[in-house]
Amino acid sequence: MGANNFSEKILSTFIEIIIILFSALFFAVIFNSIRSNNIPLFGFSSAALIKEQQEEIPTITLSESYDLYMKNKLVFIDARDPFSFEEGHIAGAINICPDEAHLHVPSLKVKSDQGFIFVTYCDGPQCPLSKETAHALTLRGISNVNVLLNGWNLWLNAGYPISKGKI
Amino acid sequence: MKIRNFPRPFIPFFALIFRLLLAIIFLYAGIEKIINPGDFSVAIYNYRLLPDSAINFVAVLLPWLEIIIALCLIGGINVKGAASLSSLLFLMFAIALTFNLVRGLDISCGCFGAYSGKINWFYLMRDLSFFCMSIFVFIYDRGWRYFFG
Repeated sequence: MGANNFSEKILSTFIEIIIILFSALFFAVIFNSIRSNNIPLFGFSSAALIKEQQEEIPTITLSESYDLYMKNKLVFIDARDPFSFEEGHIAGAINICPDEAHLHVPSLKVKSDQGFIFVTYCDGPQCPLSKETAHALTLRGISNVNVLLNGWNLWLNAGYPISKGKI
Repeated sequence: MKIRNFPRPFIPFFALIFRLLLAIIFLYAGIEKIINPGDFSVAIYNYRLLPDSAINFVAVLLPWLEIIIALCLIGGINVKGAASLSSLLFLMFAIALTFNLVRGLDISCGCFGAYSGKINWFYLMRDLSFFCMSIFVFIYDRGWRYFFG
């Protein structure tokens, strides 16, 4: 009797699991087929993703970026962490870490439409953050993104305008 | 309608609290993951645990599975099945996290959508707590009728 009861419970739990799984599958497939930003169910390609990520982001020199900055045609994007940003950053720069790039896409698109050029920077020649933020923004459709390699050091040593604190 | 068996005895009361807490967690996690399936599939890929052919399928299915589990837990419908799946999911997440923490990969957790924080040991502890809560719900949950006669 006890064993029967136990196996009945196991069976009913199993049936519940099947019902939930099939309901989820049903809604997932239907919703994915009607939504605008759907993805192919079996079409992920890691090779394409790696290629996309390895595409070169153009670099810009310090003097070029300074000229455009003085002409107010350029927006600096500080890709470092918020603490480093607060300690000092290029005057007028905005702080966008790679993980937060998606949050800034709408406002950057407006600036992009106005003809602004974006330049990401971080600290040190090996620092990957400026490239990562530039990739994240480019993948989300922001054009005219450039990287100023070793940007913070170069800018600071050149004595160009900087500011401190949050924006 | 009269409330009974509330808050004592404590065990069914805690099972109810855990059930609702898990439901909120799954609902939030599911909605966050549904918003941008492309980015979530990249978050799954970063774990380097699934073959390419399975990544998009999981990215599409998992958020809805979480939402259906959440609705079952809130409504008190198919609770045994929902709690089983919940514990299975949290166990799988914990294994995936452990694997990549040990490998030292610096990747986004993807726990609540593509843009969650980087994986860390706290997230692993959190997943294991949710796993325990799911087991507790599976064993001790008595449904809404136990409280509303």
